[in-house]
Amino acid sequence: MNILNIAWKGIKTDFRDTRTLFFMLAFPIVLMLVLGTALSNTFTTSLRVDDIDVLYKDTTKGEDFPHFIAAAEKSGLHFKKATSSIDGEKEVKQGAYDGYVEVTAQGLQLYVNNGTSIEGNILHGMLASFVDQYNIASEIIKVAPEKLESAFTREKPADFIKETSLLPDKQPGSMDYYAIVITTMIILYGAMSASSLIVSERVRKTADRLIASPVRKSEIFIGKVLGSLVSNSICIVLVILFSKLVFKANWGDHLGLVFLVLLTEVIFAVSMGIGVSFLTKTSAGPRVFIMLFVQLASFFGGAYFKINNPEGIFKLITDLSPLTWMNTALTKIIYANDFAAALPALSINLASSFIFLLVAVISLQRREGL
Amino acid sequence: MNVLEITNLTKKFADFIAVDNMSLSVAEGEIFGFLGANGAGKSTTINMIAGLLRSNDGTISILGKNSAKQSRFAKMNIGMVPQDLAIYEDMTAYENVKFFAGLYGLRGAELNERVEEALEFVGLQDKHKSYPKSFSGGMKRRLNIACAIAHRPKLIIMDEPTVGIDPQSRNYILTSVRKLNEMGCTIIYTSHYMEEVEEICSRIAIIDHGKIIAEGTKEQLKSIITNTKDVWIEVKSIENANLESIKEINGVEAVFIDENLIKINSDTGVNNLNKIIEHFMSSGIEIRSLQEKAPNLETVFLTLTGRNLRDQ
Ligand SMILES: Nc1ncnc2c1ncn2[C@@H]1O[C@H](COP(=O)(O)OP(=O)(O)OP(=O)(O)O)[C@@H](O)[C@H]1O
Ligand SMILES: [Mg+2]
Repeated sequence: MNILNIAWKGIKTDFRDTRTLFFMLAFPIVLMLVLGTALSNTFTTSLRVDDIDVLYKDTTKGEDFPHFIAAAEKSGLHFKKATSSIDGEKEVKQGAYDGYVEVTAQGLQLYVNNGTSIEGNILHGMLASFVDQYNIASEIIKVAPEKLESAFTREKPADFIKETSLLPDKQPGSMDYYAIVITTMIILYGAMSASSLIVSERVRKTADRLIASPVRKSEIFIGKVLGSLVSNSICIVLVILFSKLVFKANWGDHLGLVFLVLLTEVIFAVSMGIGVSFLTKTSAGPRVFIMLFVQLASFFGGAYFKINNPEGIFKLITDLSPLTWMNTALTKIIYANDFAAALPALSINLASSFIFLLVAVISLQRREGL
Repeated sequence: MNVLEITNLTKKFADFIAVDNMSLSVAEGEIFGFLGANGAGKSTTINMIAGLLRSNDGTISILGKNSAKQSRFAKMNIGMVPQDLAIYEDMTAYENVKFFAGLYGLRGAELNERVEEALEFVGLQDKHKSYPKSFSGGMKRRLNIACAIAHRPKLIIMDEPTVGIDPQSRNYILTSVRKLNEMGCTIIYTSHYMEEVEEICSRIAIIDHGKIIAEGTKEQLKSIITNTKDVWIEVKSIENANLESIKEINGVEAVFIDENLIKINSDTGVNNLNKIIEHFMSSGIEIRSLQEKAPNLETVFLTLTGRNLRDQ
């Protein structure tokens, strides 16, 4: 009950604070509008789906893959058979092709250059559904060979294409891109306000009153964290709804999963803010640290402009940005229905949150007062 | 039963001993005053009683129960008015009191009633919906008190509740303290203002360097220094007054200046009034009036600690 009391107080005052409202609501919306419209040209050209060129090598004598190729070609994917002298992986690395597929009796392997690229995602999704059907077919061969034909003809070959949601209006335009990356960025900024959750109580001396009351420190802590999580989540939901309804940004068909992944980022940001705030006694240090971290993470995570195919040390840096893993996961969920892509982001977010919260809890226990 | 019982309480900050083996008891219904100069250890003691600081040694019992072992019970029965304002600027007066009172398990209609009661008690009933930023210093101090009393604690601890406010608010607060006491609250009161403590406290402890150096009723404390008298000389201008040479007069123990008033503590056994007057006349200083005063708490404090309560 005390936890809810404290959480509710936090939520109420958060929404009274015009700075919070501006920063968490107005700022991202304006940023989406500006970046999403100003940079729209760079997007429509670089992300046209009919530009997907695929190199393939089929060592099976089967008819299945050629069927697939025929269907996919209709959707604007171009398949080219690789000669034995060509190193498919290398071709993809050098950017000559968007993907390289090797079909063998053991199965099917896809090489794409960049796990986060939309072309790679589309290819991956299409092949995944192809393999699913192929596996069904294999089962049928074993049990009743004579029924194979009907099993294959019953479903139209074009089905796997539909399943990958390869619809023209699903290409990410600049607004779709910025709606995602600005949202994930603004969530990270939530660490700023979280870093002053406990510090502000200390500064205003209300920490003394809280400690003097018969409420456990753990209840105060949980209440504060909970309040901050709810405030941030509400802001994020509002921003997403606004971008979806007003800017018509594409958030995909799985809003539930998208929210879940974003929620873990909110948890990550709030935990980081609190955790870092406990590392020093002053409030200035943590704020500077968080500001710097968020700025760098935003820059290298593609919040301001899209980073295509980073290489070497640059790739390493972009991979360190929480926004990279968040944006990758969301893009895959939204554009390739790749639910498994949520897992890395989800687990990194929750694991880091756990560590930050642990730091906070341990220092809180050691401290007299808050 | 004693509402508060402290035995051998010690608090160290690194090597510095802020509270030094202090023992004290406060009975039900008392208004107990803590007197001490800056840094004497008043707030540190109070913060340990309220559970804000852990002691290094010693025990504190509240209403007969060890506060370290039964901290919830202790905290439920204590109302703490911190030395520094501890209120939320972004919540209304009503919300402030309600939030803190809610932490003591009050709910619903009872909670609202108690909040109203507390605000009315400190004279802020018309300011329910106002934010503290629009308050004067005195009003903030009163809100600071309201936040501590809504849960009707048995023991109210006030750490300099009247610091830096207008006389009107100050009187209001002093009256409230008395009223709270009449309603059955035991009160621990800290102040830099000697007159306040002298006016409202039934018993007083003088604290210096973390130790209680004297304790008792006003009368008991004053009787400690029956051999000291106070001579107050009002002069036209203190410009040419040479304090050092006044101190050399036989029997004079200390000299303090309060605007045009020169306060001289002197041994009652020595008749030196003539010499003092002579000193002023020879320096060409015009005497407006001269009074011999019975010792007050300030004299007691000065004599015991060698320090002036307010100047340091
Ligand atoms: N957290 C702390 N760390 C180190 N020293 C402290 C701490 N808190 C108080 N002290 C020291 O302990 C001594 C007692 O401080 P305390 O605040 O109890 O004095 P006080 O009697 O309340 O004085 P004041 O009249 O100025 O409020 C002071 O010398 C102070 O510097
Ligand atoms: Mg103090």
